[in-house]
Amino acid sequence: MRWLLRRAAETVLVLLALSVLVFSLAALTPGDPAEEILRRGGLQPTPAAVAALRAELGLDRPLPAQYAGWLLDVVRGDLGRSYADRSPVGAEIMARVPATLRLAGAAALVAVGLALTVSLWAALRPRGAVGRVVAVVTVAVAGVPPYIVGILLISVVAVGLRALPTGGDGAPEAVVLPALTLGLAGAATLLRLLRADLAQAVGQPFVKLAAAKGLPARRAVVVHALRLAAPNAIAATGVVLADLAAGAVVVETLFAWPGIGQLAVSAIRQRDLPVVQAYVLLTGLATVLLLALADLCLTAADPRVRRR
Amino acid sequence: MRGRAMITAAVALAGLAMAACGGPAPAGPDDGVLTLAAPRDLVAGPQDPYYTHQTLRVWEPLVTVDQRLRPVPALATSWTGADGGRRWTFTLREGVRFSDGTPLTAEAVVANVRRLLRLAPRQSPFFSLDAGMELAYGRLSDVRAEGGKVTFELERPVADLPGRLAGFFSMVQSPRAFTPAGDFAGGPVGTGPYVLTGWVKGQRAELAANPHFHGAAPAYKKVVVKVIPDANARVAALRAGEVDGLIDKGALLPGQVAAVGGGGHTVVRTPSVLTHYLTFNASRKPFADPRLREAVDLAVDRRTIAGTLLAGTARPGAGFLSPVFGDLAEPSVAPAHDPARARALVEAAGRPAEPVTILVSSGETGQFPYTDIAEVLRAAFARVGLPAKVRVAEATKAVMEAGDYDLFLSAYSVPNGDPDYLLRRFLRSDAAWNTERRLGYRSEEFDTLVDRAAAEADPVRRRELYHRVQRLLAADRPMIPLAYQDNPIVTSDRIGGVEQNVAYIVDLAKLTPLR
Repeated sequence: MRWLLRRAAETVLVLLALSVLVFSLAALTPGDPAEEILRRGGLQPTPAAVAALRAELGLDRPLPAQYAGWLLDVVRGDLGRSYADRSPVGAEIMARVPATLRLAGAAALVAVGLALTVSLWAALRPRGAVGRVVAVVTVAVAGVPPYIVGILLISVVAVGLRALPTGGDGAPEAVVLPALTLGLAGAATLLRLLRADLAQAVGQPFVKLAAAKGLPARRAVVVHALRLAAPNAIAATGVVLADLAAGAVVVETLFAWPGIGQLAVSAIRQRDLPVVQAYVLLTGLATVLLLALADLCLTAADPRVRRR
Repeated sequence: MRGRAMITAAVALAGLAMAACGGPAPAGPDDGVLTLAAPRDLVAGPQDPYYTHQTLRVWEPLVTVDQRLRPVPALATSWTGADGGRRWTFTLREGVRFSDGTPLTAEAVVANVRRLLRLAPRQSPFFSLDAGMELAYGRLSDVRAEGGKVTFELERPVADLPGRLAGFFSMVQSPRAFTPAGDFAGGPVGTGPYVLTGWVKGQRAELAANPHFHGAAPAYKKVVVKVIPDANARVAALRAGEVDGLIDKGALLPGQVAAVGGGGHTVVRTPSVLTHYLTFNASRKPFADPRLREAVDLAVDRRTIAGTLLAGTARPGAGFLSPVFGDLAEPSVAPAHDPARARALVEAAGRPAEPVTILVSSGETGQFPYTDIAEVLRAAFARVGLPAKVRVAEATKAVMEAGDYDLFLSAYSVPNGDPDYLLRRFLRSDAAWNTERRLGYRSEEFDTLVDRAAAEADPVRRRELYHRVQRLLAADRPMIPLAYQDNPIVTSDRIGGVEQNVAYIVDLAKLTPLR
């Protein structure tokens, strides 16, 4: 219980630090937001109009006061208004979260599913060629940036074979290519860890004993060895899932996937700071919570962590 | 056997792609529905002054522009100026109805003008309303409906009110579409060939034929315009047959044009209102010296920039107003490419101690190959003895206001058919652009000519004034035009009637399925 409380306090501290970073992102970016807003429609704004808008946006207040006001608004769920069209940022982000979750979920499935399948396959057939080939290919693919993998998948599968859509969120099968692109890199990370740990675990005396006592090899590996090999992979899964959020920026842009990553990219292009801020805040929050969750899972899987 | 089953299941999961490969191919274009893609959302929503971009043809303006940026009739069939440009009267097309069935009246037009005045200043991603709408109407003293006609009374003469109103500023929608505050109560209600039937912000707009349209019914009864911001993703969607065409400003990057032509697609290249300029910081050394500005002008190889770097999607720049301004463009301005004379000028003026800075905005490098162009400029300047360096900056405004640049490479366009916009807002001695960005251009002659041209009602004299302005700019060189940009768009060969005007507007109602 004490451990849980300490962990929660740490998380809150990290979140506060995150909020300061996110706020300074906007405050320290060169350029005047008021001017940006006014110039957006192609007009040269007058100095008086800029000054009036600065006052309206509260940009004439000192930075600490701006931060306090902003943090209070964020806690209340008010993420400000977009510079581009003055719509509430919170609603805009929330409208796009489901698409990103769908993509990230499918990508996580690819990453975890592929890593688990291939590593178990390899552990059961230590001398099998298929497991090795798949492992090598997965790791090789991870060395290629997702952007390139995505372009290859689009030009071969979507444009060449016309087997799947190039992107967008219209048809249910549209998620396949972006999820593969996004999931492959994570799969390789997990696979490398899990394969090595599993190979070691299979060599442990208790696994051999289980086999000697007549337990089927499959059960010995899947149930007993896997539990011993899991901790590193669980810790890494937290990081991999957090990476999915970062990778989603590239993949969503490439596949015209209407998630928060695509929103962030177009906001950056348009210098729409409130949207960028909200995006960073949200992905930062997701990362912190995912890592905390991974810690919890690790504790559940490995009693030694609790005692530390 | 449990393990095997689990592994099989996991393999099936991981191989999602293979499973879906046998699925149905994406639907090809069918005759009733047209699917297009654009780099940006052409719908801005109920808080916007216009709700939709003019391209979607949901609403129509009184006046629009043709290929030569001349004002041509839309909802107004004709117009007359009187009292030296202080009174303008527009005659409306007859038998026009809004998409809700109510008739178009002069009173409705007046209500729209008053609404825009009430909303201003208001930003829009398409065309913001400036305070007092001076950009549109000059000083408007009254607007009224008289005998089915609309009359604008102005405090000061405006030579070309129809040109200024062309497009967004003379949008007409049913007054019933607006709340008393001026926002949209529901969707847009216009007179165009299409009505907006669906909109997912940032993703897609859906249009259906307007049953009350006054002209010929469009061939495509439904149009879907998808938003695909990434240039490569747009072209991939086109090649995969998911969209029938790419439209709007920046639909294709210059480098993509050669790659998408042929293979069932046709590229339509038409001149646009966009021009690439090189702006001088003449408020400090070395470009305070006109000889060095001339040296730069002579050192620049406009043909290479337009033909090679912009991949033939642009034409070499000459006069300040591009050829899309029709006879207002001054044809006698023809800058030479003469590195030898440029070198002599640099030697005469004295070679600057420090390299000059060519400033480029990082925001613009995504659409045009500005880093390449800046690099070629740098090399060309070096060859004439003018050392230079390239600086790509995020916030060019701050850099320019600090005066920390020598040359700025950037593109500008006019939002309507009015040359006064460019000259007055950028280069007049009191223009914010000129003063705040440290251009250092002060010319009483220029100011006087621009003011006279804006108020000159006689078209011949007005044209002569604009020609004089351009000859003056060609000699003074506060900004030099590098290239006049086309806006290439692409459609499937199965679509006919593709035309684009200089303001990037494709008439969706004229598109027809071939065969």
